[in-house]
Amino acid sequence: MTDSKPITDFDRIIENCACSYCGNNCDDITYLIKDNHIVGVRNACRIGASKVISDQDQRLKNPMIRNKEGILEEVSWTKAIDETVKVLKESMRPVMYGWGETSVEAIKEGLKIAMKIGAVIDNQSTICHGSTIQAFQNIGHPVLTLGETKNRADMIIYAGTNPMEDHPRHMTRYTAFPEGLFRPNGRKDRFVMTWDPRYSNTAKCSDKWVKYNHDEDYAFLTALRMAVNNHKLNKKVIAGISAEEIYKIADQMKNVECGSLYFGLGLTQTLAKQRNIDILIQLVQDLNKYTKWAMLPMRGFFNVNGFNMIMTSITGYPYGVDFARGYPRYMIGETTTIDLLNRKEPDVFMAVSTDPGIQFPGQTLKHLIDIPVIQIDTHWGPLTELADIVIPSTRIGVETCGTSYRMDSVPIYMKKIIDKPENCKSDEEIFNMILNKLGGKN
Amino acid sequence: MNENKLNVTINTGTSVIQDLYERKGSTLKDEYRQATAVAFMDPRDMDKLNLKPRDKIEVKTNWGEVVIYADKSHDKPHQNMIFIPKGPWSNIVISPETYCCNVPTYKGIKGSIKKTNKPVLLLSQLIKTNYNKYDVIDTRSIEKQELPLYKKMEEEKND
Repeated sequence: MTDSKPITDFDRIIENCACSYCGNNCDDITYLIKDNHIVGVRNACRIGASKVISDQDQRLKNPMIRNKEGILEEVSWTKAIDETVKVLKESMRPVMYGWGETSVEAIKEGLKIAMKIGAVIDNQSTICHGSTIQAFQNIGHPVLTLGETKNRADMIIYAGTNPMEDHPRHMTRYTAFPEGLFRPNGRKDRFVMTWDPRYSNTAKCSDKWVKYNHDEDYAFLTALRMAVNNHKLNKKVIAGISAEEIYKIADQMKNVECGSLYFGLGLTQTLAKQRNIDILIQLVQDLNKYTKWAMLPMRGFFNVNGFNMIMTSITGYPYGVDFARGYPRYMIGETTTIDLLNRKEPDVFMAVSTDPGIQFPGQTLKHLIDIPVIQIDTHWGPLTELADIVIPSTRIGVETCGTSYRMDSVPIYMKKIIDKPENCKSDEEIFNMILNKLGGKN
Repeated sequence: MNENKLNVTINTGTSVIQDLYERKGSTLKDEYRQATAVAFMDPRDMDKLNLKPRDKIEVKTNWGEVVIYADKSHDKPHQNMIFIPKGPWSNIVISPETYCCNVPTYKGIKGSIKKTNKPVLLLSQLIKTNYNKYDVIDTRSIEKQELPLYKKMEEEKND
């Protein structure tokens, strides 16, 4: 990445665009355009920029259907949609998974299809922050917005998350570094602590790194909660941390003006799963007896939160919603994608702007060998190798406009910047076509 | 002592460079394989197995086995723990067990590693070898296999 000369060969600048990579939804991105192509991206992180100036060799440009020899073959839109509708109509237990990287408008159309065919509709929460949502349902959510952290927080904790790698601008734009209304000196006015078994890049940028033993996060959080509530710890070392150290951390957390806690998959994907978050929420509740604390999950995809929002407002449940009985049902471990695939239940799998080939365990993916797979996406990925019908879509925030929800549930409007490839259609259009073929809108 | 097998705990997660190529959409290419099919190890563990950076190791768990590169970890010492960026290679060895809580176990999987001379497969070969959904043999050269294999539309016109 040393050949970074300033880009001067462009004819248009478009400012204040929203990034379509992670849950930060940075809305200060500038695109440099030449001949309907984005030639440069300013302000975005490396990953955000790479998503905009993407690989063209693997861009899906035409609909494809697997032929008799087992090779994907380009077909017309009519044929691809007809085949999709045929597969969906014949299915008993379809699963529609994905939605994290498409707009709220498209999700609404997709939901109508799920209702019509009695499908299970689920998103990436099922493999990342599903545990968090369960914990919110159990205990509640002491919520904050990123602006609150920026303007008020003097202590920031990252628990089991590594924003330097997966939300690269989180610290610079919202938490540790920016100058805020009550934190005029930016980084100097704030104390950053990282709780992680690994000395991650975020830990390296923090003022303090707390290393707990792997899979002993629940013990550490419980001990910390006891310390915050002035209980005595009977053991000298808990989860690899000395009791004195835990008292010290508790004391430090109680004596700030405003604290923000961000947590990630390091807590939700280990064995204690939602119980980790339960105890974390209770810890934050307890801290509020002394000072102001709030917390936020570090959502990965740019609109993974939007799906939870839309589903909760329309169906009453956040993810893993099953319409098989004609009304919405939601049962953790039963109507959630990984469990369904592990039990080999689905007979059609549709992935919308996501690649389960990258995300799902290999043993889970093995069920996709036996069933038809429909992929609606922009790029050729691992799932395309297993897909029977491939439908090319467009990128929200670049080729199509749309709304998405930031990790703190603030809706962000994402502009259209350039024209889409000739034979691609937006997710919303695709679902509209499928819905019309399925027998009208409801 | 030069043991040839080492028991480890496997963690997976995002790495900035793996995510970069994933978002760019160049998953079939060597750049993605180099960034994703790699285990970051404690240098002392690498010495035990006589490994140099970018040597190949076979990772084995109850759920599967996969050949990936080994590399030196830039994090603090974490003996007997390896970190593999999330992706199709790491997915083969992680546990699909959700314990009825919808999230599979991506972190803290027990497994073993050993040095090997077997090749680290490109994505398309990896999917073919592990899942073998379609009986198609890719006869293209290795460089060409970094591009998608599909049949272009000829006469049929789009609507």
